[in-house]
Amino acid sequence: MTVPQAILGALSVYLALGVLFAIPFVLVGAGRLDPDARQGTWGFRVLIFPGATLLWPLLAKRWAMGARVPTERTPHKEALRRSERAER
Amino acid sequence: MGHSYQAVQWNPNKKRYDALLLVSVVLYLGVFLGVGFVWFPEATAETLLLRALGTAGFLALHVILCIGPLARLDRRWLPLLYNRRHLGVTMATLGLLHGGLALLQFHGFGDVSAFESLFTSNPRWGSLAQFPFQPLGAAALVILVLMAATSHDFWLANLTAPVWKALHMLVYVAYGLLVMHVALGALQVESSPIPLVLLGVGILTVGGLQVLAARKDRQVDGEIGVSPGSDTGWIDVCAIGEIEDGRARLVLASGERIAIFRDGDRYSALSAVCQHQNGPLGEGRIVDGLAVCPWHGFQYRPKCGRSPEPFQEVVPTFPLKIVEERLWLDPTPLPLGDESGSTSGGGIRA
Ligand code: HEM
Ligand code: FES
Repeated sequence: MTVPQAILGALSVYLALGVLFAIPFVLVGAGRLDPDARQGTWGFRVLIFPGATLLWPLLAKRWAMGARVPTERTPHKEALRRSERAER
Repeated sequence: MGHSYQAVQWNPNKKRYDALLLVSVVLYLGVFLGVGFVWFPEATAETLLLRALGTAGFLALHVILCIGPLARLDRRWLPLLYNRRHLGVTMATLGLLHGGLALLQFHGFGDVSAFESLFTSNPRWGSLAQFPFQPLGAAALVILVLMAATSHDFWLANLTAPVWKALHMLVYVAYGLLVMHVALGALQVESSPIPLVLLGVGILTVGGLQVLAARKDRQVDGEIGVSPGSDTGWIDVCAIGEIEDGRARLVLASGERIAIFRDGDRYSALSAVCQHQNGPLGEGRIVDGLAVCPWHGFQYRPKCGRSPEPFQEVVPTFPLKIVEERLWLDPTPLPLGDESGSTSGGGIRA
């Protein structure tokens, strides 16, 4: 096997696993991460399928951790967290 | 957000933009092919189509990269920004069609698979004039497809900020790869200087607008007047009449911009970073009693920083007081949703 063949083979495996992951993800996993996705339409599920296929390791990790919708971290929210901690 | 996801949240404006976009693409491809057949009768239909799709996608990427800075320089461009997502998906589709056609035409009929051929058929990596420019296009295409695939609101909400930052930086990588794809590919066999000039104009436009927008951001920050040591203790902001009704004055404190909005004689201080995509909330206006982000219209109650039901977004608020007709701001954020920071005109509160 040549190097390009090996790379392309690894990519194919990655994408195949992605497709396998994306099916349960768009049906169930998305709703676990984000309550707004629970009642999502079929069109929505189809639209997020390619993204789930490409980014599956990231999403699998969030799903396994039981992660929820992240909030943006801004300096003000950090400052708030610090001052709330100081009060406790 | 606080509602179920759909494929696309259609509204009349989006439909109008999409119709315009579709007509523009079809017109561009039609004119390109028509002119091509007349001026280059020796070119095959496949070659012309390949070029029409490639240039259309590359042009769309230029428009996309210009919209952001244009909207920061002049608010009249904002409507285009709202629809950038569909332009992005269109661009990725054009790139896919162009790449797919090239793959089929140049690599589809050999002994090895088309993908393998794409990376191995031209091994002259050391040559400038005959550099394998097609893998550069393929690498860019992967990035563009990744961005299009993650453009739904669901991804905005659920990919974390570092992932978003990385994705945003990758657009510029894709742009650089495509510049090389064109410069080392089509331009090497081109005798007319026109394509080279067009490429130069494109690069200068994208680069120039980015520089101008960055300079304007710095200017806005400069006008704010950052007093040293302003992360603790009260800051003298301005006289109460100085803020235009319905608009905000910006103060840089605790590491970010704080927007002090005026609604009639009521003043409220909000963290000026929109929770949606970190948009410039402080450049927004008060509409129907709500502070509206200029980027995509997310709304926040000025008093408490919360979005109206059923939305869940909330930005921190800050204590304000009026002493001798001047507004003072305490840059330590209040607990989320706290309304006590807001103050109204006439009276003096400490
Ligand atoms: C798998 C990916 C790609 C492959 C195999 C590929 C292949 C090619 C080939 C063979 C040419 C030369 C055409 C000629 O000289 O007549 C070309 C030119 C070009 N490509 Fe690509 N490309 C890919 C991706 C892209 C993408 C994603 C874009 C932009 C969105 C793009 C934009 C262009 C442009 C602007 C030209 C110059 C057009 C011209 O020939 O006048 N390419 N590409
Ligand atoms: S950034 Fe999208 S609405 Fe503010």
